[in-house]
Amino acid sequence: MSRPFPYTYISCPCADTPVPDPARKRRSRESPQKSPQKPPPERANLSAEDRKEPTDSEQHEEDEEEEQTFDPRSPRSNFSLYPPEQLLYCEECHQIKCPRCITEEIVSWFCPSCLFETPSSMVRSDGNRCGRNCFNCPVCTAPLAVSTIENATGNGAQQGPWVLSCGYCLWTTLDIGIKFDKPTNIRSQLQKMTDSTAQPTLDRSRQASRTFGDLKSPLSTFASIDEQSAAREQDGEQSASQEPEAPPMGTDARFAALKSFYRAQIAETSASPNDPLSTDFGFSSPGALNRLMSLYASSSRLSGLYGGSKKPKSKPPVMREAITASEGLQLAPENGDEDLIKRITSPSCGWDGMASTAQRAAQSPDARFTDDLLPLPVLLRTKRAKRCKSCKHILVKPETKPQSTRFRIRLIALSYIPLPTLRPLALSTSSTLPTIAPTPDLNSLPPLRPVHVLLTLKNHMFDPVRITLATPPVTPGNVATKVTVLSPQFEIGANSDVWDEALQGASAPLKGDATMSGMRGVPEAGKVWDKGRNWTTVVLEVVPGTLPGSSAEGGDGNGEGDEGILAVAGQNADEDVLEIPVFVRMDWDADAQLEQGNIGKGSKPDDKVTRELAYWMVLGVGRIQPSL
Amino acid sequence: MATLKPPTNTHRSSSSSHSSGPPKAPLKADATATIADTVVFQGTYPVTIGAGTVVHPRARFYAYEGPIYIGDSCIICEKAVIGAAPSPSSRSPSPSRTADPNITSSESGTGTDLKKEAATRISYFVTVGPLSTIEPGAHVHSSASIEALAIIRRGADIGSHSKVCSGVEIAASGPVGEWVVVWGSGPGQRRKRARGAKAMSPAVVGAAQISQAPLPAPAPEGRVIEDARLMVLQKEREVLGRMLVPAAGGKKK
Repeated sequence: MSRPFPYTYISCPCADTPVPDPARKRRSRESPQKSPQKPPPERANLSAEDRKEPTDSEQHEEDEEEEQTFDPRSPRSNFSLYPPEQLLYCEECHQIKCPRCITEEIVSWFCPSCLFETPSSMVRSDGNRCGRNCFNCPVCTAPLAVSTIENATGNGAQQGPWVLSCGYCLWTTLDIGIKFDKPTNIRSQLQKMTDSTAQPTLDRSRQASRTFGDLKSPLSTFASIDEQSAAREQDGEQSASQEPEAPPMGTDARFAALKSFYRAQIAETSASPNDPLSTDFGFSSPGALNRLMSLYASSSRLSGLYGGSKKPKSKPPVMREAITASEGLQLAPENGDEDLIKRITSPSCGWDGMASTAQRAAQSPDARFTDDLLPLPVLLRTKRAKRCKSCKHILVKPETKPQSTRFRIRLIALSYIPLPTLRPLALSTSSTLPTIAPTPDLNSLPPLRPVHVLLTLKNHMFDPVRITLATPPVTPGNVATKVTVLSPQFEIGANSDVWDEALQGASAPLKGDATMSGMRGVPEAGKVWDKGRNWTTVVLEVVPGTLPGSSAEGGDGNGEGDEGILAVAGQNADEDVLEIPVFVRMDWDADAQLEQGNIGKGSKPDDKVTRELAYWMVLGVGRIQPSL
Repeated sequence: MATLKPPTNTHRSSSSSHSSGPPKAPLKADATATIADTVVFQGTYPVTIGAGTVVHPRARFYAYEGPIYIGDSCIICEKAVIGAAPSPSSRSPSPSRTADPNITSSESGTGTDLKKEAATRISYFVTVGPLSTIEPGAHVHSSASIEALAIIRRGADIGSHSKVCSGVEIAASGPVGEWVVVWGSGPGQRRKRARGAKAMSPAVVGAAQISQAPLPAPAPEGRVIEDARLMVLQKEREVLGRMLVPAAGGKKK
């Protein structure tokens, strides 16, 4: 609710029916028939004195009928209120769709820097980063430029070593001692340089672990780590011959080695013939739980029964941990911490040499110093299509090409529902020029003093629309503000061609009231304020209520708004905000389409079908002054 | 910085004898310097501008608290402020007082030591970006660059080949070492630039070790980047000099 006053929000009906089901379609269509026929038209015309009395009974009625007044203050309504521009409309369900009741699917991936589309298969294999030349500075995240060194120094043509350089913080790949031989395909060049899971390596390590695994395959029946390591010492000469020459692995390689190692372990231990229960269950299957339970039960019970003297025959094998470097084990270096500390305290590093957490976030976990940072390929972005959650109808579908900003399908709600706009009417209603008269300050509305607000509804459909507005006579919440719609039922013209109006004169679209010019001036009950080709303005009379507790501090609050507002806001945040829930029911005669479902309430002979749509909207009028 | 400009005849005469308006600073500019028409020189102390320096239009020099020395081959961009406008208390209100609140506030804070002479020095090959502020007593060493909207407070010392990125504020008498980039916002974060040849990134070394491939050839020293930058700067200055000359209507005598 951070918009400036006045604002309008529209409530998506999905808040009431969180589970998308066909029943909801019916319900939302039925609901408008019920509610507006009840109180609103008459109620709005009630005079002030007898307005109080029927309110309670009506609200009771409403509560019983589960068709409750929308309360903009209820915590739930935060999640259903959206500015009109953010809403979509499903033509199948005939319903407003908010970001919560749609699903998104990715149409294409592209690099925001080079606008090159990346196939999703490549995204899956290479990660969602640009595979070409786009990099961000690892220090300051500005985009990096590929530039040559030789050319800049003046000797030579366009060849020579190339570097990535940041125009902002002057970081270059020379800072980490890297240069490139070609200006193209930097990503693969860099990967070749830094990839520790390079093909020969990977093969070698995998082979090593496989041979090691084969070697150990009889050992897989060992019951405990101790036995296993003991056995390992026995055939230590084989493994020891491998270990010392094994180079330290990079992070990726270690991860791959560990992954393959544990996969092998799972396969060996779960498919062990000694385990009666888990012959065909892996660790990833629910049978693993059974196996674990039996493991506990058998060991404890058997050892209890037989005094532990006899070793249970079927002791299941235990997974062991990685114990060699080729399996992915990395021992912390002897005095690594001391070296680190020494390096940190050295004058060449210091605070500025340490990589910040923001810088380390996307880097390898070993990177601690700014010298360890590698340039980051640019993250890809997506274009997304949006579907209705309940009927899977596509609501938004952008063009696949990253260069294009057009949409193939875009069903935004504003082309189906009238756009509400709100503005205050000038204070002196007697003035003939209302625009000149001072408008009330919406950030401090005096309580108990009527304010007139103009609500304009602008129709974007090509059919004229009949609108019925309904408000609760008193706004829900602690601050009882009286609201009256002076003309709750009116029509909005079709969004016809602008030229039609000009060519046909003012007769056709403006067949409303003939006395339109005379309507300016005094807001009158039962009459629309103003009307245009496809818009209509009505007047809302608002009498802001008094804030709770403001009577107590009414003495000192002599127009000094700020402190009073703060004090009130301290009690209950934003209680002074005047928001009016308005129920809008619109119906129009649409062209009959092929699939009409169960709408046809009053289907007309000439293939016209009466459509209805009803929803709540919230008008944010302003803040109420704490005192008079 | 909406300022009320005095008529553009301000800098014209280095030995101005106008009695009205703010005092003209005695200007000693090299013959090869290019100074635009609308540059403001005010104050009582001399302003010295070195050879080949380009001063863009509407740059302002306030030599009220000490002399200003600009070295050779610098670029002072538009609306840069070097020195500080006189505070309203010590001077009669001048029409060209800057509207920059930073300057006036710090001015009033250090109003007591106005007597002391605080020389502002800018060495050679320095770029001072548009709308940046260099307060009196600051010393900018050679080949540094001060970007747009940066603020160098009194007595700060900017090392050579350093860069103060746009919007960064260097605190009063705050030192910035050589080959350092101050970036970010507010006081900024610092980063040392590569000067000599740097050790290869551990990721590369590790990868090469594993794959037992030879290490890639060592990269050249980081200095070449700076050399290239200075060369580009040199070219820019040459072009600028040509562009500004017709507008300036002649260089300083």
